[in-house]
Order: sequence, then structure tokens, then C-alpha cells
Amino acid sequence: MESEKLSKGGETFSVLPCAEKLKLRVNGKWYDFQVGKDIEPQATLAFVLREKLGLTGTKISCDFGECGACTVLVDGKATLSCMTIALAVDGHEVTTIEGLAKNDPIIKAFANQCEPGYGTAMQCGYCTPGFIMSAKGLLNENPNPTVEDVKHALSGNLCRCGTYSAVLQAVMHAAKEMRNKRKA
Amino acid sequence: MAKYRFTPRVPRKYIGVYRPRSDSYEKASGMAKYADDIALKRQHPEMVYMKILKSPYPHAVIKSIDTRRAEAYPGVVGVIKYSDPEVASLKTTSSSWTDATNTIDRRRSWSILDRKVLGDTARWVGDEVGVAIAAETQEIVEEALKLVDIQWEVLPFVVRLEDAIKPGAPLVHPEINPESNYTPYREFSGPDTYVDRGDVDKAFAEADVVVDTECTYSNPQQCSLDYWDCLADWARDGQITVWSNSYAVDQSRMHLHDMLDAPLNQIRVISPYVGGSFGRGDSGDQPFFVLSALMSKKTGRPVKYRQTRNFHDTRLSMIGKVKIGAKKDGTITAVQIEETGNIGAYDDWSVAVTKIVPKEWSENMLGSIPNLRMASRTVYTNMIPSGVMRSVGNIQVNYFFGLALDELAEKLGMDPIELAIKNITCNNVPTPNHCLEEVLRAGAREFGWDRRHAPGRGEVFEGSKKRGIGFSVNNTWHTENQEYRRGPTQVLIKLNPDGTVILNAPTVETGTSTNSCAVQACADTLGVSPEKVKWISVQDTETGLKDQVQTDSAASYLLSEAIYQCALEVKGKLLEAVARKLKRKPEELDVHEGRVFVKSSPEIGMTIPEYYASVDLLTEDTLTPIACYYCRPLSLDDLGQAYRATFAEVEVDTETGEVKVLRMLVCCDGGTVLYPSGAEGQLIGGQVQGLGEAIYEGMIYDETTGAPLNFNFIDYHFPTMEDFPDNVDPMLMEVYKGYGIYGCTGMGEGSPCCTPRAIANAIYNAIGVRVDALPITPIKILEALGKEGEQE
Repeated sequence: MESEKLSKGGETFSVLPCAEKLKLRVNGKWYDFQVGKDIEPQATLAFVLREKLGLTGTKISCDFGECGACTVLVDGKATLSCMTIALAVDGHEVTTIEGLAKNDPIIKAFANQCEPGYGTAMQCGYCTPGFIMSAKGLLNENPNPTVEDVKHALSGNLCRCGTYSAVLQAVMHAAKEMRNKRKA
Repeated sequence: MAKYRFTPRVPRKYIGVYRPRSDSYEKASGMAKYADDIALKRQHPEMVYMKILKSPYPHAVIKSIDTRRAEAYPGVVGVIKYSDPEVASLKTTSSSWTDATNTIDRRRSWSILDRKVLGDTARWVGDEVGVAIAAETQEIVEEALKLVDIQWEVLPFVVRLEDAIKPGAPLVHPEINPESNYTPYREFSGPDTYVDRGDVDKAFAEADVVVDTECTYSNPQQCSLDYWDCLADWARDGQITVWSNSYAVDQSRMHLHDMLDAPLNQIRVISPYVGGSFGRGDSGDQPFFVLSALMSKKTGRPVKYRQTRNFHDTRLSMIGKVKIGAKKDGTITAVQIEETGNIGAYDDWSVAVTKIVPKEWSENMLGSIPNLRMASRTVYTNMIPSGVMRSVGNIQVNYFFGLALDELAEKLGMDPIELAIKNITCNNVPTPNHCLEEVLRAGAREFGWDRRHAPGRGEVFEGSKKRGIGFSVNNTWHTENQEYRRGPTQVLIKLNPDGTVILNAPTVETGTSTNSCAVQACADTLGVSPEKVKWISVQDTETGLKDQVQTDSAASYLLSEAIYQCALEVKGKLLEAVARKLKRKPEELDVHEGRVFVKSSPEIGMTIPEYYASVDLLTEDTLTPIACYYCRPLSLDDLGQAYRATFAEVEVDTETGEVKVLRMLVCCDGGTVLYPSGAEGQLIGGQVQGLGEAIYEGMIYDETTGAPLNFNFIDYHFPTMEDFPDNVDPMLMEVYKGYGIYGCTGMGEGSPCCTPRAIANAIYNAIGVRVDALPITPIKILEALGKEGEQE
């Protein structure tokens, strides 16, 4: 592939060669994209998930890796999809909030949280899928986290409604339930 | 510390019960849709993206603009310049609260109309002026904006309030005030001195003790993650449809009607869930709605506009002076409060922050003070516009007053809680105010207030750390008689033949859990389970009722009272119908979990589906579905006031200046607590703002360039999970009883209100030196301790 010259708005740009195809496995299903036709080469993973696949549970807020609302799993690891060029994860496995089971213990724990003294694990809910995917990433790596582990792992997810206390409870409950399931 | 489990004073099946949010699964599973999720090209293939040029200068005027290169850029579909007739002919506007839902002229107050939808003058770095471009992708718009050739005339600017009020300062809005940067007199908001009762000067002269304080409040930002956006479609038949995350659909509709002179039945505004608001913009008046609609008309395409992190407005930074005069026994005889606010580049309803709300605050807090004077002024600068934010106006005046109260207590040798109980009440209720006293005494007892030491005299931990405690009290926000401007509350309940319910309790859910309160009130009254009740989450001005705007914490209790009345009507119709079937009288029957039964013989009865199945369609009125509409007027009865108080314990490292909040107790009297899990979430969650404003947050400006320096979530830090203390404990109370069956008061809006003062007073209690300029950063602590420079 050679670089080509492109003229736009009276200026000439050099376009560097890049992959022509993108293949992603998202929530267990393979998708193919033609670069330049289906997606632009600079498209972020967040953009592809939302615009091309309609997976809007992944939110784009700061679009700069500061807030965590766009967190998804890439090969099981929590990843900021707004900071990930889709082509960079070509051939990889991506999991979004829509890819978790309906009765996923973390989703359930967030949804059911109403323990007196902590509030609910979401208010406006905009940051919630990001928190859940970060928690999923943490529990994949560390099934038995301490309170400090959870706080550290989720400190890149911002919640302006201030549900941190309840989120912490929910993640600790989910971790316990997942451990119990594994034992059973 | 122990967690407090709330017990309702009147036990009910669902109201007052800890349970999951009604929308929690929808939100946790990622299924909840926000405006940005429905404004996608895959759903609107013709959609184009619009952006507006942002000024790189704090103050500049466009001398000439040439958009030819931008227009020629492939993918650009539309350009609107400030000089184009469709925008140049528009009247000036504001970005402010519009309580106009009936007629555009019937407003409680007006902002100064100092904004153009698209003008030629930039008044802050980031001001959207000059040209709007629409294109096929966001990247193309960004590139095209770089190709606009502009000649600017750069003007002198001013960002500091102290500089802006000096004679000869650069004028931000000479067309509004040709003489100074003070906002001019506005008839609706009255003179600068907006409260003046008794003889304040005489009372100060006669007082045994007088304290005179001054401190500053900074300008934190709302920081909701779901940035303002809209998708506007002006169809060829004249129909304008706007999807947005404004939480005021009716107001947005009125604004478009007012600005574009389009009939109301041709304007449709739709809002789904909103990802947090916190007062952001606080209105349906947003110039970008108008510009997006005009761009759609011009291009014939739906137009999406979305702001980025470096938008929003901020809280109004202020200088507050408070003087209190008192007798030796602690009776306060005179109070004088003067506030000067830096409103930034545009007015944006600053009068709410500096007059309307402080006046209400005084009616709820200083009702017993015989001599009271309150004055305020607002000043334009070339900073980001400041306006309303959660705890609007209240948080600042409470911060200023709380300092003076604490100093007065110390001067009198009195416990500040006793001083508050002795003096603070609302109009028409004598001191001691029962509601206030209950909250303060319970809070003091549970927090361990009696362990408070003299300022700076506590134990020293780890060689350099000192601890202290502080409190602050405020009225809750709001009781019903303060909400008259909203007009009546409308709800609609539909009972389906299968026993499910559709509840139209119109408000945009921003996270406040008004939807849970509404569902629970409906389920309780109607006798069905909450799982059977579907609350309509998308507000639509074409098919919906008048919405309750999600502000002042009023929506939950206004709607729940109306739902109670409406559900009673539905239930009455159901009982009548079933009574005919069972050959009983309606008053002999009741409903439980969707089954109508005879109270004296519960085994006799039928479920709602059984009733419908038994109806003869030819001979009986099936009432399918049973639907009732209810419109409840507001009560103007003065039923007193409810109160809240926050207690904080801090640890200050006197070597580094670092403040750590060790624990907080947030007490709030909610009248009836409709939904404790949601209410506790509000009391805890508000501390991400309250605590952030106390020790972290505020916009930082480069005074040499006039540019903001922390317009991102890294440099503008608000508390994360790691910063947030483990022990922030909510304590729900029910002392007050307002109007109606529940008699609630608001809880969420005022949640951060007492926090900055509680923390500032705790810091003073720890180190014995006052640091009151927010945010209280380590450097300010070290300066106050005379240790600045030692770090180097």
C-alpha cells in the first residue's frame, strides 16, 4: 500500500496507508468493516460500537480518557474505548455492557443495591455501564478484592451524582456472589 | 460509624420503604437511552453535525469573516455566519431559567437579554461566536472551522472581580451598561438592597457584641457527564422536532416559539433520561436550540449539536460580607449580608443566585431577626458565564452566614448549635423552631458534638495532624409554597385490563429518583405492585402533559401528591365497577396487589384481569382502560419549614496543608420520606459536590491571557471513589409536615448546601486559624499557618 495525495479545501494532504479491513469480535459475534467505506481509519472503538453497532450502553462523555464512561473489556481487560483506535484492536474480543448476561452478578448487584445507609448504586445512570465494565475487569483479574482494591480500580470512573459508597457495596456483594457460585 | 436505618412515621407498603430504583435494571444493563443515544446517524441517516466557532480570545470582535475555504471543504453541508439575515434578525436572548410554560411573558423574573444566538463579539475564551458549520462528520466540521478566515480585533479584558469594578476597567457589555461592569438595575429584581427591615444601623450600635466577616466562594462547575446536546429537525412542512437532554421540554418549546415565531403545535421537544444536570444551564432557553433548528431549515437535514467538557457554566463566585449584632445572652438583634458576584460573560439568571434565593433563604432562616439588611451586586467579567448550580445561591449565603455565626458563638462563649437554635427560624414560626431543633439535636448527639475541643486545642496525631469538627445548618430545599411559579401539577394514570398500569407523571428523570417516588405513590394508593407500574420515561411536548421541571427537589413531592389524588380516582372507579359484579357497595371493597376483595371476607374478590374477563362487552361499560387525569393546584399555605444539617470531622496535616475529611453526618428532615434509598443516595451523593467545593473545585484562570486552565477532568478535580470518605452517613428524619397526604419537602437539591461551611469550620476547629477562601487547598492552609514557602 502506498501513500496517496488527497486534495481537500484547496490543500493537499498526504494520506498514510493503513489496514483496509477491520475484524472485531464484539459480544461473541464477529463483525467486518471496510476501512474508508464503513469506518474512517481514525475511528475510535467507542464510535464504532455506538454508531456502527448501535451498542449505546457504552457512553462517550469526556472523549478524552478522563471519566471512564466508555469503559469496555478488550480480551477481558477494562479499556477506555474512547481512547482506543478501533484498528488497534483488530482481531480482538470486545465485550460491552450489552454482552454481559442478563443475570450477570455485577449488573444484578448494581440494580438491587438499596442497603440502608448507602443509597442506590446509580442515580442518573450515565456512568453506570462504565463502572460495571471496570468492575468486571477487576473481578476477572482479582476475584477476591479488598475495599481498597475496588476503590483503586474504579477511581478512573467519575460519578458526579456521587454514588461511590453504594457502588462499592455493589461490587463487594457481586464479588462475594461470584465466589460463592464458583464454590458451588 | 453506625448507619442509620430510617423508620417512617406512617408505615406504608411502598412509600417510605428501602427498595431498588424503579429504573435500576434499565440503567445497570445499559438499556436506558439518553439523548446522545438516540441522536445517532444509524437512526437518522441524513443527520449532520454542527459546531460553532469558539473564541480563542477573552474579549474580541470579529472585523471580517471569510468562509469560502470552509464551504468548499468536502463534506460541509451548511454554514451560517453571524451576519446572515436569519440570525442577525433574531432578538437577543439569555441562557436562563424559563418558567414560561403557559405564556412567554408570564415569568417570575427575567435575565438580562445579553446573548446573541450568533454574534460578532466574544466575551470569554470559548465563547461561541461568528460562524456555525454543519458537515457529514464531526471531524469534517472541526477541520472546516480551521479554514474560516477571521480578522479579530482583540479588546482589553478583565477576569478578576476586584479588577472589573475598578473605574476604567474594560467594559464587558457596554451595550448593557456603558458606565461600568455592574449589571444595571432591573425592575423585577428591585434595588441592590433588596431586604431592609427594622433599623439595622441602630441595632448594631446598641448590640453587646458585633462580628464582621468577609470571605469568598469559588466557581465550581456542574460537571454532569451527559453534555448538553440536541438533534433538531426542521421539516419542509414546517414541523420542528428537537430531541435533547434539556430537562425542561415545555420551556424549550416556549423558547423556540418565542425566538422563531413558529406556532406551538409545530414545535415538538422530546427528552429521554438525562445523565445528570446539577443546574447546568438550568433552562429551556439555550441559543444552540435555535441555531440547530435554523441550520436544519437551511440544510434540510437533521442537525446534531453536542457540547464538550469545556462548556457548561459555573457556580457564581462571590465575595460575601456578613455582620451580626447580638445581645450577651446570644439573642441576635441585627444581621447584614452583602454579596458581590462575578457572573462572567453573560447574566444567565444571576438574580436567582444573588437575590431571589438569598431572600427566600432569609425567610426560612432569619425569620426572627428584627433588623435585617441584605444587598447584592453582580459584575460582568470575561470569564465563563456563571449562573445556577445545585444548591443555587443557598450554598454561598449559607457559607458566608455560617462563618459569622461560628465567630459570634466563639465571641459569646456559646455553643454554635445552641446559638443556631436560639435564633434561626422561618417567618411566622417563633424560636426555638421545633423542626430545626430536632434536626440539630439529633445530629449533634449522633455525631458526638460534645467531644468538640477548643479551636486548635485538640490532640496531635502522627506528629503533625490535627483534627476538628464543624457543622452547618440550612433549610431544606424546598417546601411547596415556594414553588408557586410552576403552576398546577398534572398526572395521568391508566389501568390496563391485565392489571398493569401506565403512569404519566411528567418529568425528565435526571437521577433524582422522582420516577421511583412516583411509581411507589401510585402502587401504594392503587393497591398494585410497583413492578406492574410503568412510568413513562420519555417526555414529549406533543403527546405528554405539562412537565414538572426537575429542579429545587420539588418534582418528587408535587407529583406524588397529584398521583395520590389521581390513583384514588382510578381506584374509586375500579371499586365501583367490581362492586356491581360482586353486588356489594364500593366502600366494602379494597385492592391489594391487583386483587379487589371484600374487606370483611377477603376470600371473596376478583383480580383486575378477572373483572375485565367477566364484563359483557355488549351491555356493560367496560371502562377499558380506566384512565384518570388529575390537575392539582399548588398550596400557598405557609406551613413552616424543614431543616437539614451537616456535621464533618477533618484531619489537617499542618506540615503539608492537606485536608482529609474523616467522616460526615448528613441529617435531613424530609417531611415524609417518599423513597429512602433514593433520599439517602441524594444526601451522600451531594457530598461529591459539597466536599469537592470545599477542598478541590473551582475554575482556574490565567490572568495574563484570560484563558481557563483546568477545562478537563484531570486538572479540574472532583472527588473520585478513592478521594471519597468511607463514612459519609445519611440520617433521614420526618419532623416537618407540609401540605397534602405526604407533606414532603425537597431533599436532593440542598444536599451539598451545608458542607463547605461544615468543613471550613471543622478546619478552623482543628488548626485554630481561619481559612475561608474556597476551595481550601493545601497552599492556603500553609499560608494561614505561616508556613508558605517552606515547601520549596
